[in-house]
Amino acid sequence: MATKSLNIAMVCDFFHPVAGGVENHIFMLASNLIRRGHKVIIITHSHPSTRHGIRWMIPGIKVYHIPFKTLVSSATLPNFLTFLPYLRPILLRERIDLVHGHASLSSLAHEGILHSHLLGARTVFTDHSLFGFDDATGILTNKLLEAALRNVDAVICVSNTGRENTVLRASLHPSIAHVIPNAVIAEQFRPSPTLLDTTTINIVVVSRLAYRKGVDLLVATAPRICSLFPNVNFIVGGDGPKLVELLQMREKHMLQDRITLLGPIRHKDVREVLIEGSIFLNTSLTEAFCIGILEAACAGLYVVSTRVGGVPEVLPEDMISFAEPEEDDVVRALSDAISHVSRGNHDPHKAHERVRGMYDWAHVAERTEVVYRGVLDSEPRELWDRIKRTASLGIFAGPIFMIILVVDCYFFMFLEWLMPREDLHYVEQEWDTRRFTDICRDELQEQQA
Amino acid sequence: MSEWERVLWKKQAYADNYIPPSFLSSLRRNANVHPYTYAPLVLASCAIIQHISAVFILLSAFVHLHTMALDPRLLVWVSILCFLLGYTAWELTQARTNTSTEMRWWRAKAFKSSILVFLALLALSPVLKTLTEATSSDSIWALSAFLLGLNVLLADYSSSFDRTTTKLTSVLSMNAGISASVVLASRLSSNLSVFALILFAVQLLALLPILRKYLNTSPLRILISTALLITASGVLIMPISSALAFVQGGILAFIGLACPAVLVWAQKYKNEIKGSWDPAVPQLR
Repeated sequence: MATKSLNIAMVCDFFHPVAGGVENHIFMLASNLIRRGHKVIIITHSHPSTRHGIRWMIPGIKVYHIPFKTLVSSATLPNFLTFLPYLRPILLRERIDLVHGHASLSSLAHEGILHSHLLGARTVFTDHSLFGFDDATGILTNKLLEAALRNVDAVICVSNTGRENTVLRASLHPSIAHVIPNAVIAEQFRPSPTLLDTTTINIVVVSRLAYRKGVDLLVATAPRICSLFPNVNFIVGGDGPKLVELLQMREKHMLQDRITLLGPIRHKDVREVLIEGSIFLNTSLTEAFCIGILEAACAGLYVVSTRVGGVPEVLPEDMISFAEPEEDDVVRALSDAISHVSRGNHDPHKAHERVRGMYDWAHVAERTEVVYRGVLDSEPRELWDRIKRTASLGIFAGPIFMIILVVDCYFFMFLEWLMPREDLHYVEQEWDTRRFTDICRDELQEQQA
Repeated sequence: MSEWERVLWKKQAYADNYIPPSFLSSLRRNANVHPYTYAPLVLASCAIIQHISAVFILLSAFVHLHTMALDPRLLVWVSILCFLLGYTAWELTQARTNTSTEMRWWRAKAFKSSILVFLALLALSPVLKTLTEATSSDSIWALSAFLLGLNVLLADYSSSFDRTTTKLTSVLSMNAGISASVVLASRLSSNLSVFALILFAVQLLALLPILRKYLNTSPLRILISTALLITASGVLIMPISSALAFVQGGILAFIGLACPAVLVWAQKYKNEIKGSWDPAVPQLR
């Protein structure tokens, strides 16, 4: 049993072709699980005019695009029941053992967890972000999350801070919440082979230019650093609503030759930007994990970051300087970092090797698989137990979600009658990576011959 | 076995769902919550009572004008008297804070604009009287009720002194109140009645809220001014309908005494959760 390969379905609103942290996480986790011999499919919504139906991605990930309309920023409207007619045949024909939902603002993930017990699939959920308890988003979505995770089998969070946050938001028992961090592909973030000269120091910022990324702090500190250190320049990559403020600051202080604004950059070009500099600055105000500082550290940069959320957990103390989210303290930390780097105390190649040893997607997949095995070995909850747990959500939310759960069961029975399991087209032949590699190799040899 | 550390970069000999002793140690509950006590809340709600009383006074003045029970000339004189009284109070509260040259400038400005408003209202009152002649009275009652509701809802009840920024909502509130009095006045029969009612409305809905902030500085002043306004509204409403007077008394008691008690009671459900996951607030110089 322990060596049996698993059939896993990842369910999330956020996936390729949209670029982003969650999207990348799902893709990397899926490819490394496939490398470990499992079968992974991904269920997401369709992108009109470009992506419908079933697509394949290298290395053998099958992506189902469900024709759902998106509401805002690629998230679909929560509709609870209408996902079941799509999910049921997919889980049955792919013989899925386990449904893995991602991201707490993805209603597809919530609904996947709601329906899975009907088809005998177990559930895991990964939360990627932090939410407060007193803002509108938190108030609106925390109850939805609590309802969705009422009967989940395991939860994965990307940092210890994220775990505490999710446990509180969804009222979970902490023992089902696991911490498995993100990782980085070290090969894609090699430091510059040529040594940078230490006479001019470039500070690199790569981030979405939004309030939550602390652009206000950057706008306030950059001119002060420029006047303190005549040999320091800034390179800022990224786009967003706060770009205008950066442009105004540059204009006001006449720093056009000191601060380079690159505008939006693609993820594959990030390394080219990073290796231009020797210090990476992150001014985020909230962050569950912050993949940006990990990529920068991997590319050999010394990191200066605000001490927020899960950031203090990511890197060892000697690779990063922390600042409180205050203008004066960011200037202080940056000044320290500049003198540290200009004395030649930071070796990019050594930093790269250290990060390579710390974070690895194969390792993430291995730890995730341990969670999967634990879930599959545990006893599933009975329906009556699920109903009781859902009813205890609260005096208003409890009955509402209980009704949804019960109606969902009747709807499932109706679907069983309407589309009997026997009439479904089951997947008979799985993707065989080894055969694919052999064919590719033969093709290559033929071409060369 | 080495001790568990709160880091992600190190491979640790603990399971991924290990619950460390420090779990949730950064959680702060009700860290910056100052519980309210009953008496200050009652005093703070006096501003609302004062405003609602002022609205009731305006409405009863309208009813008395409409039924010809009140001579509009008397109302004009009352308005002028109120203005002089209010202006004296304003002068007294301002004397300590401003320099004499500033005050002279302010006085000249206030005198000029009050004469201007007075004359403009006098000149416009025939126009305003026939403004809504083609509209049925029922629409006017509904419209004025809606506008006065808006006025009460959006009025600025805060007690902070900040003359540089006027809240948009308080300006909207004043506009709604004046519009309500204009449409009500257009139901009246004589030009002088129209003029008297709008002048009175300007006193109650535009000038009184400004003065209120400076009057409501000590508990004694708040209580005296609130008592005066409640008495005035009661005396004016009683002749119209005693039932209405009881309704008004009930509303004011509910706002002034019951609502603060409910808020004090509801505080036991307060559960503010703060922790390291909250977005930081950047501190800029």
